[in-house]
Amino acid sequence: MIKVDSLVKTYPASKGNPPVKAVDGVSFEIAKGELVGLLGPNGAGKTSTVKMLCGLVRPDAGRIYLNGQDLLAKRSMALAGVSAVLEGNRNIYWRLTTRENLEFFTALNGQDPKTLVSQIDHYLQFFNLSGKANVEARQLSRGMQQKLAIAVALISGSQVVLLDEPTLGLDVQASYEIRQLLKTVVTEEGRTIVLTTHDMNVVQDTCERVVIINEGRIIADELVKNLLDLFRVRVYRIVIQGALTDEQRSALANIPAVIIESESPEQTSLSVRLEDSSVLYEVIGVLGSGNSLIESIDQEQNNFERIFLELVEGGGHSA
Amino acid sequence: MREKLLLLRAFFKMEFITFRRYWMNSLGGMLTLYVIFLVLFGGYQGLRSLGGVEGDPAEVIVVGYVLWFFMLSTYQDVWYTIRTEAQQGTLEQLYMSIHPFGWIMGAKVVARFFINLLLVAILLGAALFTTGVTLNLDLLSLMPVLIGTLLSSLGIGFLIGGITLMFKRIDSYTQMVQFILIALVALPADRVLWMRLLPGSYGATLIRNILVDGATLWGLGVGNLAMLFAIGLLHLAVGYGVYTLCEKKAMFLGMLGHY
Ligand SMILES: Nc1ncnc2c1ncn2[C@@H]1O[C@H](COP(=O)(O)OP(=O)(O)OP(=O)(O)O)[C@@H](O)[C@H]1O
Ligand SMILES: [Mg+2]
Repeated sequence: MIKVDSLVKTYPASKGNPPVKAVDGVSFEIAKGELVGLLGPNGAGKTSTVKMLCGLVRPDAGRIYLNGQDLLAKRSMALAGVSAVLEGNRNIYWRLTTRENLEFFTALNGQDPKTLVSQIDHYLQFFNLSGKANVEARQLSRGMQQKLAIAVALISGSQVVLLDEPTLGLDVQASYEIRQLLKTVVTEEGRTIVLTTHDMNVVQDTCERVVIINEGRIIADELVKNLLDLFRVRVYRIVIQGALTDEQRSALANIPAVIIESESPEQTSLSVRLEDSSVLYEVIGVLGSGNSLIESIDQEQNNFERIFLELVEGGGHSA
Repeated sequence: MREKLLLLRAFFKMEFITFRRYWMNSLGGMLTLYVIFLVLFGGYQGLRSLGGVEGDPAEVIVVGYVLWFFMLSTYQDVWYTIRTEAQQGTLEQLYMSIHPFGWIMGAKVVARFFINLLLVAILLGAALFTTGVTLNLDLLSLMPVLIGTLLSSLGIGFLIGGITLMFKRIDSYTQMVQFILIALVALPADRVLWMRLLPGSYGATLIRNILVDGATLWGLGVGNLAMLFAIGLLHLAVGYGVYTLCEKKAMFLGMLGHY
């Protein structure tokens, strides 16, 4: 469906700003029916990558194939089955109603809105917008506008749908709703969706696969569940009463997995990062040797956010 | 072909819906222009009656004014559409559609032409009513000449639209186009031949021939009409050519949106 090969984009210097290497050798392939997240911090190059896929930004080097067509050589053929929502709620006409927007974009893409009435009704209902069908888009809430923008991208039947930050600026509920709807679109309609986000939670609960991008380069391309497994390192936090003895302190210093997080005459807190549980027993042994009273041992939640930060800070991981 | 008709229909629908919904805005803008016209016209008549100026008869002023409005509207339909849609983010959607951008603007312009026609009819009616001027409203002769003249406006629209894509904040400069258009409409292209090459000037002359002097389409001569269209198409081609260059550059710089 989508094949990107060694994409490079440097924005030239302008108005005293130095040139920006926004995308630096990005390659990936996405098959039909996948829901892939393009994740990265601000300025990582997500929007630039997506806009190149849309044929709106011209790459300096690299190739893009959409439905087997070379985008740079056969633009209109390649873009035929592709639609995108690029600026959240901004790519709809604010003076047209919800229904009029759907009708306009149907016609723009070569289909007669009159023959697609039931399709339009279906999406109005699916996105919970039936009650707002005759309301001008500018009067909708931000979440509704965003849903309408996505509905507009779906209405022409494109097999590939690209969404740049589809949940940006939405409240928790609207964001949740959109994520659920996207999952349904992929499972029920078999469309291919690529979404960008800087929010790991969106990826964790929406996407099967994630491509993590930082400073224009891909630092991980994995199934979300594999990535979680791969980093299934447990971190325990141990809190003891009182300070450590000198012997304990030097013994713990020999165990690299241990970090003394805080220490005071009343209470000491350690964090133990371990790949296998034997280290934990070793640590508890050291603590027991000084007769320290353990107040609590907690396992910290392993989440996508930490993995993401580790990857971004650690400069990458090749799987 | 079917797809192009659907495109045209979609823009007709969009334009008429927004016009119906926001006609107060359009008429409000027109009212301002109309008041300016009245002030200018009154001042001009005053000067003439004092014998201070030798000048064009009132008919010529009215025709020039209305034609200027039509040319301005058409130019803005292109330029302003490109500008606002780039800002809103809908321009990128248009670029991703199955149609080349030129066709899309074409459909938009044709739809807008009919709305402009309506507005111009109102404006002309009001101007004729308040000034007591009468004109030879031979629509059949007028339409082809009008269209030939407006081709030049489209060219200017694409030209300025392209520059806007590249430089974004140039509204204060584009204001000047309004005044340049006044000059172009008023130039004596009937007497000074090279002026016919300028946008709108020759068309304005021919339209005056019809409306004021009572010429018919055939009376104008096929050669002259052909020249009008050749000049109009030339302006359109140059404007669209510049636009295409700017569009390429904007895609290279990632500025088709509102970055
Ligand atoms: N048109 C442009 N001209 C110059 N620099 C640009 C342009 N567009 C983006 N950049 C720069 O390129 C880099 C990547 O930008 P991009 O918008 O692709 O990142 P992003 O991952 O989408 O970030 P965000 O999460 O902030 O949306 C940034 O440093 C940005 O400032
Ligand atoms: Mg972005």
